[in-house]
Amino acid sequence: MRDNTLKYLLVLPAILVVFATAIWPLIESLRLSFTVGRFSVPGSLEQYLGWENFAWAFTQEPAFWNAVRVTAIYTVLTVGLTTTMALGLALLLAPGGKFRAGVQTILILPFAMSPALIGVSFRFMFNPEFGLFDAFFGVLIPPLADVSWLADPILAFAVCVMADVWGWIPFLTLVLIGGLASIPQDTIEAAQVDGASNWRVFKDITIPQLAPVLAVVIILKSIFSLKTFDQIFMLTNGGPGTATQTLSHYIYFNGMKYGQIGYAASVAWLMVIPMIVLAYAYTKFVFRKD
Amino acid sequence: MTGKQKKQISQAIQIVLILITIFVMLVPILWIFMAAFKNHIDVFQLKLFFTPTLENFGTVFEAPYHLGMKLWNSTIVAFVTVALAIPIATMAAYSFSRFRLRGKTAMLVVILATQFMPAVVIILPFFVMFRDVGLLDTRIGLVLVNLAIVMPFAIWMIKGFIDGIPIDTEEAAMVDGSSRIMVIRNIVLPMAAPGLLTAGIFCFIIAWNEFLFALILTNKDAVTLPIGLALFKAEEGDLWNLLSAAGIIIMLPMFILALIIRKYFVQGMTMGAVR
Repeated sequence: MRDNTLKYLLVLPAILVVFATAIWPLIESLRLSFTVGRFSVPGSLEQYLGWENFAWAFTQEPAFWNAVRVTAIYTVLTVGLTTTMALGLALLLAPGGKFRAGVQTILILPFAMSPALIGVSFRFMFNPEFGLFDAFFGVLIPPLADVSWLADPILAFAVCVMADVWGWIPFLTLVLIGGLASIPQDTIEAAQVDGASNWRVFKDITIPQLAPVLAVVIILKSIFSLKTFDQIFMLTNGGPGTATQTLSHYIYFNGMKYGQIGYAASVAWLMVIPMIVLAYAYTKFVFRKD
Repeated sequence: MTGKQKKQISQAIQIVLILITIFVMLVPILWIFMAAFKNHIDVFQLKLFFTPTLENFGTVFEAPYHLGMKLWNSTIVAFVTVALAIPIATMAAYSFSRFRLRGKTAMLVVILATQFMPAVVIILPFFVMFRDVGLLDTRIGLVLVNLAIVMPFAIWMIKGFIDGIPIDTEEAAMVDGSSRIMVIRNIVLPMAAPGLLTAGIFCFIIAWNEFLFALILTNKDAVTLPIGLALFKAEEGDLWNLLSAAGIIIMLPMFILALIIRKYFVQGMTMGAVR
């Protein structure tokens, strides 16, 4: 067979799979978002409704705006905290050596843990009666000794952020260590010979050189933060009330628990739009090298 | 203070900070490991020393929990997902790596971008369709939707590995009269084997840990391990010793797999954006 035919035949199955499992559901979700789409009403998945689902979300649903707010604050906090802490840890671990290499290996473990399990383990740690972190924070910050973390809206949110940061620091650290390793050492040494302080070296050499990797890290983490579902579901299930209800959780509840699949699809598509922007920014970095 | 002393102090501070980090990173994991070997009563006290028991690991496999069935479902679903994804992805990755294709960049961008779409968007139409064709609560259904999250990773990761294989050997073999198919089978596949194994393990971990799809699509027959975690609730609250035992069964195999491919873990997750 000639290469000219073969090369297309080779990609065909993969393209079909991606189309059937990812592109089609996206298009079908878009179609559903313009329908009445209720499980309890036969035929409503084909019943055209126009923009009403979207209008409903924007004007009639405080819960939608709550989920937007929760997701936004959650994303800003987790991206900011995880990136800063991972950068600090990466700088600590970058020098290498046996000890630090061993630590890097340990760092892989939290990342291989299923997010659902991370949610469970943090619920365990913050159990008011016998949770380890609960006891720990109680000793460290006495006013927190008797609070029930997951029953308080703000503290429950804080626990969700903590669980996320805990789960993501290891991975981002490993990525940043890779980035640090690619900075030419002679530039840094030359600056040090000229008497530049560590802070100056960090600010004027490390950060600018690391900028592309940092950008990738921030985009990638933003995407995963915006999508957050598993941990929240296992940790607080959106509660107390709707204090930790992210957009994914809100969509899940409207679609699966209330059977309003048309409305859920429209909110889901509102979420796809920022994703496309972020994915576009990400691909810019991937293809920059080619 | 001399410069040398300063350096030593700075080293000491760094070591302390690293040790604190390890502690924070490992404590939740170790706590689960400990709870899994505690009996029901010891869990409810913050005990560090206790008589370990293997009882929990037996209980989770008995009625009413039947974790064995979930373990089987998780294993089958992850294996079949990988077995389908890797050959298909390898073919595509080879073509993307070696040939000029019309619309290649566009295809690669779209494949990459689908990875970032929220799972909850993908699953709504699948739920409707599976309900109509009777695929709800089946392992086949789960495999199909898992392909949505695994394929982009597999294609990008394997393309990265094949890009790294020098093209000269292939060209020499072609000059000697080998066909393209023979070249792929006799030269590319053996050389890419470690990469394919790495990608396979990576996809296995993703499929194994997958939560949202299984939560929505399964309720009884095809329930996987992560969803099984929700079982360990009783009227008096969560059964933490059993939850922990189940947690170990979920995470320990993944820890081992992740350590095997640790060199490529970062590369896999960033799909080549960071090397």
